[in-house]
Amino acid sequence: MGPERSVRGSSYLNRTAETTAPWKLCAELEYGGDRTFASTVEQEVVQTPPPEWAKVEAKILATLALPGCTEAGRAFLCKTLALVGSARSVPALAALVRETKTADAARTALEIIPGPEASAALRDALASLGGKAKAGLIGSIAARRDSAARPALAALKDNPAEPAVVRETAARALQCLATS
Amino acid sequence: MINQSPGSEITMPSTPSALTRRKFLQRSSIATAALAAPNVLPSRLFGQSAPSNRITMGLIGAGNIGTAHLDTLLGYKDTVRILGVCDVDRERRETAAERINREYGSNDCRPYADFRELNRRSDIDAILICTPDHWHALNAIDAIRNRKDIYIEKPLTLTIAEGRALVREARKYDRVVQHGTWQRSMKRFHDLVEFVRSGGLGKLEYIECAIGANNRHVGATWQPEPVPEGLDWDMWLGPSPWRPYTFFGCHYNFRFIAANASGQMTNLGAHCLDMGQWALAMDNSGPVEVEGHGDFPTSGLFTTPTRIDVTFRYANGVPMYCRTDLNVSGNNTSRFYGERGWLDIGYSKMSASDPKLLREMQAPNKQVKVPSSKNHYDNFFEAIRTRTRPIADVETAHRTTTVCNIGQIAMALGRKLRWDPVKEEFVGDEMANRLRSRPMRAPWALV
Repeated sequence: MGPERSVRGSSYLNRTAETTAPWKLCAELEYGGDRTFASTVEQEVVQTPPPEWAKVEAKILATLALPGCTEAGRAFLCKTLALVGSARSVPALAALVRETKTADAARTALEIIPGPEASAALRDALASLGGKAKAGLIGSIAARRDSAARPALAALKDNPAEPAVVRETAARALQCLATS
Repeated sequence: MINQSPGSEITMPSTPSALTRRKFLQRSSIATAALAAPNVLPSRLFGQSAPSNRITMGLIGAGNIGTAHLDTLLGYKDTVRILGVCDVDRERRETAAERINREYGSNDCRPYADFRELNRRSDIDAILICTPDHWHALNAIDAIRNRKDIYIEKPLTLTIAEGRALVREARKYDRVVQHGTWQRSMKRFHDLVEFVRSGGLGKLEYIECAIGANNRHVGATWQPEPVPEGLDWDMWLGPSPWRPYTFFGCHYNFRFIAANASGQMTNLGAHCLDMGQWALAMDNSGPVEVEGHGDFPTSGLFTTPTRIDVTFRYANGVPMYCRTDLNVSGNNTSRFYGERGWLDIGYSKMSASDPKLLREMQAPNKQVKVPSSKNHYDNFFEAIRTRTRPIADVETAHRTTTVCNIGQIAMALGRKLRWDPVKEEFVGDEMANRLRSRPMRAPWALV
């Protein structure tokens, strides 16, 4: 087992997380590679009762923070965070969603995790992303029916500097919010 | 073409009665029952645009199933004209377009790489969608917003949230949506449903659905491969999570990869569970409890279960089982057990505990009547002409697909779940509720 690492400054993890195999191996997951360990982890996650979610959430976050976490590993871990994640996951995910390369994986969890913290992380990332990634981000905001995003979406819809995909997605997102 | 722009109809001011093509289609569907009217009307009736009375169609997805649809649609030369075919695989779309043009003896059909371009054609009435499941909702919603009626392959959508969104859009834009659950247009299933609902089996005790398992094992690992020339892999993936291309992870096999579909639970379950929903008069509702177990491959490309064992329970206490049966091969069956015995109906065979039950089932004049359709395509075309709901309407489709999807979620979680079919949410299981939707890969969004 490697040394535990905090996830972007979350001291919470240092207290509770473990990254033993097969967890650690999830950070090394490769497309097409053996994923038996990931199946084991997935089973552990889905069978964890709600009172224990915080512990398993911490394990996921600790694994996600391991150096060299692969793209496939990140995607898998974010998918499991969608099942048990809480506001505790938001700082780590907020950092990932601001980067084009990792935004999709982060949204896999942020779009699903309940609470205002996740909504705020998605809204805040609007300033960091552009083009297609921004359109996807708007989709996540709309899926959460985040009415606090209305002013930002309205500005994007009418901003000629934004590409069409962003303006159009913002317009449709506003319609979603208007009818929800 | 029926409709040109949102909320409008094509009016022809040069004609004495300002006859629109939509109005004509509505009228002609009534008239043709009594008159052998010519299919192509003189252009003077419509003014300069001289539209045909044929339904103009576009096809999204020209793979195995799409080609099967094409085989049939090309036989409807007097009814249908296919003007465009879309596929992200260049060879498939060009082959299909060439075939259509050859059959028609024209060059009217155009190939498209992007479904949105096809949907925006103002001279197309209806779109047939037979893409991988992860694309269904976005293909369909875009078509609906472009005022197209749609025939969509089963399962309706990949997720419960997508299904509800699609129903909402179909109703908002007043579009005809026919789901590819064609068993609703087979007489034997219609007879079965009326017989069961009329109490022909006595008190209904339970329903057993047997579906085949055809996941092929392609190894515990796989190798990313170069994307074949002419295939737009990014567009094939669309809203589903990115992964590298590999031969077995594309086209037909998408249904065994959880990122793209839900395996045989939705692929084959969409047919036989649909019969249960219909017989139980649950077309606007569903079960209240689901428990499932599945054998999920622990490694390899395919991630949907190879063996399925799911129990749905309805509010009236009737359970519906859906199980993998290696003996049924491709012929799914729905077996209904009642006080008087059982009836087992598949699309290529039927049997009963007593032959008398089969005879009674096929007899006319049952007490309870349900809408009937003799042919799934004809029913779709008639619904387009009359602006009525088809036999496998979108709400019905969403409800059946939801049954499949809650079964899949129950298997994934391996525990009994309570389902509220009114609120469309699980009761007391937060994790299950989180699986009702899936975030989409950028730039795609369910908005």
